[in-house]
Amino acid sequence: MGYVAIKGGGRAIAGAEAAVEALRCAEGEQGTPLSLSAIEQQLRLLTSRVVSEGGLYHPRLAALAIKQMQGDTLEAAFALRAYRSTKPRLMDLPVQDTRRMRLIRRISSAFKDIPGGQMLGPTTDYALRLMRLDLANESAEDFRAVSRRFLDGVGDADLPDTFPKVVDALREEGLLPPLTRRAHAAFDITRDPLVFPVPRSAALATMARAETGSLLAIAYSNMRGYGDVHPTIAELRVGYVPVMLPHPVTGEPIEAGEVLMTECEVVAMYEGDTTEGPLTFTLGYGACFGHNEVKAISMAILDRALQKGMRDGPANPSEDPEFVLLHVDGVDSMGFTSHYKMPHYVTFQSDMDRLRTTQDKATTAQPQPEGAQA
Amino acid sequence: MTKTFEIPPRGQWLRLWSALPAAPIKALADELAGRYQVEDMALAQSGLGLMPVTDSALGDTYFIGEIPLASAHVRLANAESGQTEGAATLVDDRAGVARALAILDAVLAAGWSGADAASQLLERGAAALDEQTRQRRALLSATRVDFALLGTAGEDDDE
Repeated sequence: MGYVAIKGGGRAIAGAEAAVEALRCAEGEQGTPLSLSAIEQQLRLLTSRVVSEGGLYHPRLAALAIKQMQGDTLEAAFALRAYRSTKPRLMDLPVQDTRRMRLIRRISSAFKDIPGGQMLGPTTDYALRLMRLDLANESAEDFRAVSRRFLDGVGDADLPDTFPKVVDALREEGLLPPLTRRAHAAFDITRDPLVFPVPRSAALATMARAETGSLLAIAYSNMRGYGDVHPTIAELRVGYVPVMLPHPVTGEPIEAGEVLMTECEVVAMYEGDTTEGPLTFTLGYGACFGHNEVKAISMAILDRALQKGMRDGPANPSEDPEFVLLHVDGVDSMGFTSHYKMPHYVTFQSDMDRLRTTQDKATTAQPQPEGAQA
Repeated sequence: MTKTFEIPPRGQWLRLWSALPAAPIKALADELAGRYQVEDMALAQSGLGLMPVTDSALGDTYFIGEIPLASAHVRLANAESGQTEGAATLVDDRAGVARALAILDAVLAAGWSGADAASQLLERGAAALDEQTRQRRALLSATRVDFALLGTAGEDDDE
């Protein structure tokens, strides 16, 4: 049964568009339009979600999408994807090095002492979840003074531009397998469909632009018992990765800009036996555009679970590449869910016809009560 | 005594200029375009690039997502000085800004008239980047933590 085109409703659809816009501006004379800068800065974690789930690192456009879609992250990511589909691919980029990340946060739950030290950075990890009622009536003067006061209270710090990776220290101790750069070409999920089995690069790319809640839900199933990763966070870092491109005239690498990223490595239990060489811990890896720690950790857990599933066959949903990778994209899943709101009048009519026919057959086939006249 | 600004290597120019708002960059580029003949070696354009990174766990390269890109490549000429080339590729979607930066790149590389103004913008960009670095480092230094196992140290507020 295929879909059948309908007609009509043009005026109502235009009216719906105007109604949405009217609600956005419902404050009327008392209202002030949201500036993109305010969304990008004050709702930075929301903007981060949209850049990563939209798969395009463009914080300003993400802020615009959030404004246009009135805070709906799924629709905002959809808008960003739609925008990207109108743009040409300008060039192939060289592989970028996340070790050059200019950090704003760096923690490890595996070691209290890590090379370079732990720095909590901007986090609410240790904050009480109490409502800050003072923000309800925050004055512009108070708001503008906060950042300046913070910077005035912190002296100039002599810190390096980059910090060593915790996993490197574990490798040096022989607790992790050595890092070998693999020569496989990376899978481009923006142009090629996922046909299983897929390489790990396809899984990483799919999860990097997955919807945060979807990744979290499946990773959580693993944490609760439908899996056995039992992760420890070797390192979680947030910072700006410089994008290095060759200068078109000199060919020399130049910094063309930077990208805010969250990156996480989780250590999981060792596997195998000593006949294959010394036992080592295993690793999972997660990363995404923007500042989104739950997403990076969830991705790292799922990466580790999928490695096991790809090798031994899945023992639970979180180890099944097809189950995970086909159900974590927010634009896909939201689109399919929303399509049920579209008119299905003909298909439902058909369902009703079949039900009535079946009911009639059932009534006819029922045995007549004794003594009843035909 | 004021510290003199040394022009950094060409590989750092784009980053420094990009730290400034587009307006002064474009204003200087417009002025230079009036002084020299500007030929587009490649049409200034904007688009996207798919960003590959290497995962730090197993060493696989994968695409984390796309970034906006703008690029321009120009050749400047005048009767007295001859020709020079400049180019810019930046994480941005404004092709006009890329072209303006390519013009500045060409003039400063050749040391032509206008190079001083381009250098001054570099200096302003360096100051803006220094401030940005200071702010980011403040986020780190204000939150440096020295976790201790219970019973092995005093109250952490004594740090």
